[in-house]
Amino acid sequence: MLEARNLHVHYGSIAAVRGVDIVINAGEIVALIGANGAGKTTIARAIAGLLPYRGEISFEGRLLKPNSAEHNLRAGIALVPEGRGILAGMTVEENLLMGLYSRRDKAAGKADLAEMQERFPILGQRRDRMASLLSGGEQQMLAIARALLSKPKLLLLDEPSLGLAPKLTDSIFDLIADMRAKGLTIMLVEQKARQTLRAADRAYLLETGRIVRSGPAQDLAADKIVDETFLGGSVGR
Amino acid sequence: MLLQQLVNGLTLGAVYTLIALSFSLVMGILGVLNLAIAELFMLGAYFGFTAILAQLPLPVALVAAMLGSALVAIVIQKIAYEPLRDAPIVTPMLSTLGFSIILQNVATNVWGSDPLQLTDEVLPGRLTLGSVSISTMQLLVMGATVALVAILAFVVQKTPAGRALRAVAENRDVARLLGVSAARVTLLAFVLSGVMAGAAGVLIGMHYAVITPYMGVDIGLKAIAVMVIGGTTRIWGALVAGPLIGIAEVMTVAYGGSQVRDFVVYGLMILILLLRPQGILGGSRSEQGQRV
Ligand SMILES: Nc1ncnc2c1ncn2[C@@H]1O[C@H](COP(=O)(O)OP(=O)(O)O)[C@@H](O)[C@H]1O
Ligand SMILES: [Mg+2]
Repeated sequence: MLEARNLHVHYGSIAAVRGVDIVINAGEIVALIGANGAGKTTIARAIAGLLPYRGEISFEGRLLKPNSAEHNLRAGIALVPEGRGILAGMTVEENLLMGLYSRRDKAAGKADLAEMQERFPILGQRRDRMASLLSGGEQQMLAIARALLSKPKLLLLDEPSLGLAPKLTDSIFDLIADMRAKGLTIMLVEQKARQTLRAADRAYLLETGRIVRSGPAQDLAADKIVDETFLGGSVGR
Repeated sequence: MLLQQLVNGLTLGAVYTLIALSFSLVMGILGVLNLAIAELFMLGAYFGFTAILAQLPLPVALVAAMLGSALVAIVIQKIAYEPLRDAPIVTPMLSTLGFSIILQNVATNVWGSDPLQLTDEVLPGRLTLGSVSISTMQLLVMGATVALVAILAFVVQKTPAGRALRAVAENRDVARLLGVSAARVTLLAFVLSGVMAGAAGVLIGMHYAVITPYMGVDIGLKAIAVMVIGGTTRIWGALVAGPLIGIAEVMTVAYGGSQVRDFVVYGLMILILLLRPQGILGGSRSEQGQRV
């Protein structure tokens, strides 16, 4: 479904991503794990079309243009950014309405919004509340619901469990499994490697802008070097 | 006497509100001070006067002023802003300053540097309520301002385009992730800003029945002060600051004399900058997200 070849991303003179290849097949959950600063967010943002890059990213057989988020969203790629990207100056419902912004089928969109408010009852109950007043977990739900309303084929999640209590983290992982069961393809960026590797089909381990390991998630979880250099560290669990 | 001054102050304040909104729309969304707005105001007056002098009805003059200024705003956006979008923030500001002076020159060449006067009163008649006398023109200025602000509020708060505008103002990347074209939203901000400035120009022009190519300079600066007093991070701050400054100015002139007229406005601006830089209505720094 998505194929990134020889991806390079620079911030000025800093090379954040240096020749990365990633494949995501339809229906998969693909994990991108790595320590802080490894380049995970940069890859997610490049795929979503927020950054200029060198190399090629194609989606459903078509080459994407760098830095063209608006087009990528319409092609079916949605990103829930690191830090959630809630629009704090808007109400909960206005945030959800922004999820419909790119859609042409307005009537169906309205129906989907009502359905989303049923699926996440808290978002229905607090529709007129300012989004900034939601708790961290609720904001993450809102960010994911908003992204789903654009009807993506591929959902990129950048550290959705960051800053959440273990119980809420579990519910986010449940939600991810649920979304995949409904047919969505997912790229999950995480530092919580163990839980991520349990949820994912395949995984890429990133280190300072390069992929150092890749393969079925189970294999990576069992990989000695991965375990020593990464899972064994303080970032695991 | 006091009530009369209040009415006069509100009339002036209405016009300040419109121009300050024009500034804060662009400022709130793009973070850029478009100095050429002062000239959109002046050109709005000339477009309107041209229509009136051609014996066209008053609504046509209002529409001509708003559409004409909106078109010029688009030209400013394309030439003075868009190519410099990624330059340091002061660069587009300087280019709009350049544009401002060019537009004054254009107006001088097209309409001459002498004041342009209306010979007949556009809207004759006065309404007298006890000791207060309100001209029909003053009612039009205030009524049109209320109507325009209501329309703007509806567009910004209730329509998808308005939501997109607020999204870009708050977080450009998130807006892009939701499919918003920043270029289109920028254009919308400039157009709305042009409409507001153009309306203000023709309204104040008709109120005083005389306009000049330099009328934008003084009132434009004052509108910037009004925007600062209301708070640059929220466009609606102007709704409070505009009438406040209008009334304060008229009262100052009435009771202190015209030589101290500008002390109040600019003094208040400096005071606000020192004591409450986010403006009267602006939120705290931690709420920076809630811009528009
Ligand atoms: N906007 C930026 N400007 C400059 N350098 C950046 C920027 N964003 C990220 N970086 C650098 O790029 C590298 C990768 O960052 P990032 O993609 O955020 O990593 P991760 O998401 O894996 O923590 C880091 O060295 C980081 O300091
Ligand atoms: Mg990151």
